[in-house]
Amino acid sequence: MVLEATMICIDNSEWMRNGDYSPSRFQAQADAVNLICGAKTQSNPENTVGVLTMAGKGVRVLVTPTSDLGKILACMHGLEIGGEMNLAAGIQVAQLALKHRQNKKQQQRIIVFAGSPIKHDKKSLEMIGRKLKKNSVALDIVNFGEDDEGKMEKLEALLAAVNNNDTSHIVHVSAGPNALSDVLMSTPIFTGDGEGGSGFAAAAAAAAAAGGVSGFEFGVDPNLDPELALALRVSMEEERARQEAAAKKAAEEASKQEKGGEEQSSSQEATMTEHASGGTSEADNKKNDLSDDDNALLQQALAMSMDEPASSHDLQDMEMPDVAADDPELALALQLSVQDSTKDSSSQTDMSKLLADQSFVSSILASLPGVDPNDPSVKEVLASMQSQSESQQKQDEDKATEEEEK
Amino acid sequence: MACTHDHSCEDHDCSSNWSLYKHIDLPKVTALNEANPGSVKSVFKAWEERLNSSGENLESNEGDPELLVYIPFTSDVKIKSVSVVGGADGASPSKMRVFINRDGIDFSDAQSMQPVQEWDLIENLQGVVEYQTRYSKFQSVASITLHFPESFGGDTTQIHYIGFKGEATQLKRDVVATIVYEITPNPSDHKTRAETGGGLSHVE
Repeated sequence: MVLEATMICIDNSEWMRNGDYSPSRFQAQADAVNLICGAKTQSNPENTVGVLTMAGKGVRVLVTPTSDLGKILACMHGLEIGGEMNLAAGIQVAQLALKHRQNKKQQQRIIVFAGSPIKHDKKSLEMIGRKLKKNSVALDIVNFGEDDEGKMEKLEALLAAVNNNDTSHIVHVSAGPNALSDVLMSTPIFTGDGEGGSGFAAAAAAAAAAGGVSGFEFGVDPNLDPELALALRVSMEEERARQEAAAKKAAEEASKQEKGGEEQSSSQEATMTEHASGGTSEADNKKNDLSDDDNALLQQALAMSMDEPASSHDLQDMEMPDVAADDPELALALQLSVQDSTKDSSSQTDMSKLLADQSFVSSILASLPGVDPNDPSVKEVLASMQSQSESQQKQDEDKATEEEEK
Repeated sequence: MACTHDHSCEDHDCSSNWSLYKHIDLPKVTALNEANPGSVKSVFKAWEERLNSSGENLESNEGDPELLVYIPFTSDVKIKSVSVVGGADGASPSKMRVFINRDGIDFSDAQSMQPVQEWDLIENLQGVVEYQTRYSKFQSVASITLHFPESFGGDTTQIHYIGFKGEATQLKRDVVATIVYEITPNPSDHKTRAETGGGLSHVE
């Protein structure tokens, strides 16, 4: 939550027309800039961000440091590509813009996107770096696009001159399948010097790592509606956990501990749906309707609650029937499950082949409210959890986006 | 304009005079061009400890002896004189320029602005030299910025102690924090006397 004023220097030179970063270098850069602005303003509401372009007729300040995200996003429209980038002038103008920031308490930071070859020599860049360090301005460099000979050394030298106690960073992004924004999301530029990162960055990074999907899961959730994003993510994880646990259970019905674990996870799921927003619980219940596996599991869980009054599960036992009573759709789902056949073993063998990424899953569960990863029954669930097949995941995501559109 | 003590300090209690360090808002003290961020806070201590260089001291970056120290006070103070203890081997500052009640000064501002007062310092390793101020200009100081442009030939500038002598008033010069600016006036905020029931309307 560092109070910071940031100036972003955009490279809009001719080299940005290249399409090696999809859809074009310039577009990838613009997306990254939007993400950074969002992250900065979210991590501290008093943060300000400004934007300037380095190429074209000359260095041009598009917007002076402001906390108004809309203004920043608007100025990114209609930018023209052309000319050559002037790195030294860009950094100096950025420093000047920061010097005249309204709130002198803000730390000063410059983020430079260096996509085209650098014509300045190492010495002058080092001098600029020293001047920045002297005035305690931090500098983040994003090295992408053209890979000139000497460009990397020049930028590293600049970073070494500026760096004061690891507040400045450099990131090299090579062209490839990953979008520029995704690569940046896991870097300290986004997460802000190891302070743990804003919830925005952490959620986006976790979502990207989980789904292997570029950009956000469920759409632009963390930006606009963090609660909905959290609820959707939670219900997705619970869904996944229950389905995998159900698959395991069909093979190992004798293992009572596992059932206890499943029950806990399913009852947790039920409590989650109660706590989450109404829309989300609807989405969840609809998922129940559509998925046979869930219903079979719920049925089994209910059966368990009748049969085994285990002391540690008493509380959870009570919650299940209550939920069924309150929610007619859930009751309908349960009824459906009675009629449905139990899981076939073919999908189960697939599941057993896939191994879960333990650390990832435990980190997800740790972030869920009300779930204690040290709870033995949760540990059982973790042990039995296996990663979801791709088709199931996409199906769920489609349903989730359908629900969002409604 | 420097004076030295013409008595031994044990008889005369000098330390009580140099007690303005207690009124310094230490968490908000910052310095530019310091080698270790935050080391500037270590130079403000009691008079007796001014020669104690075992702890941290303020050092500028390698090869650049310029230093800029911003010191806010917790209440307005009147400063009579300043004392600076520098480092050995030419690492002492040779000049000092001060600015009053301005925050956010950086090196380019400091070099171009006219200071409130400036002094040529001497190498004061014993901490017995004090530099008097033009007292009339230092009557209500909420923050002071010290600019040390050069050293005595050393590669860096080291400062072990900065002390202020003077008085603290209990007043505080505060920025007006809550002002509401109206873009369009809201009639309910401006009830006239007629609406609140009574009184003669005032006609100019």
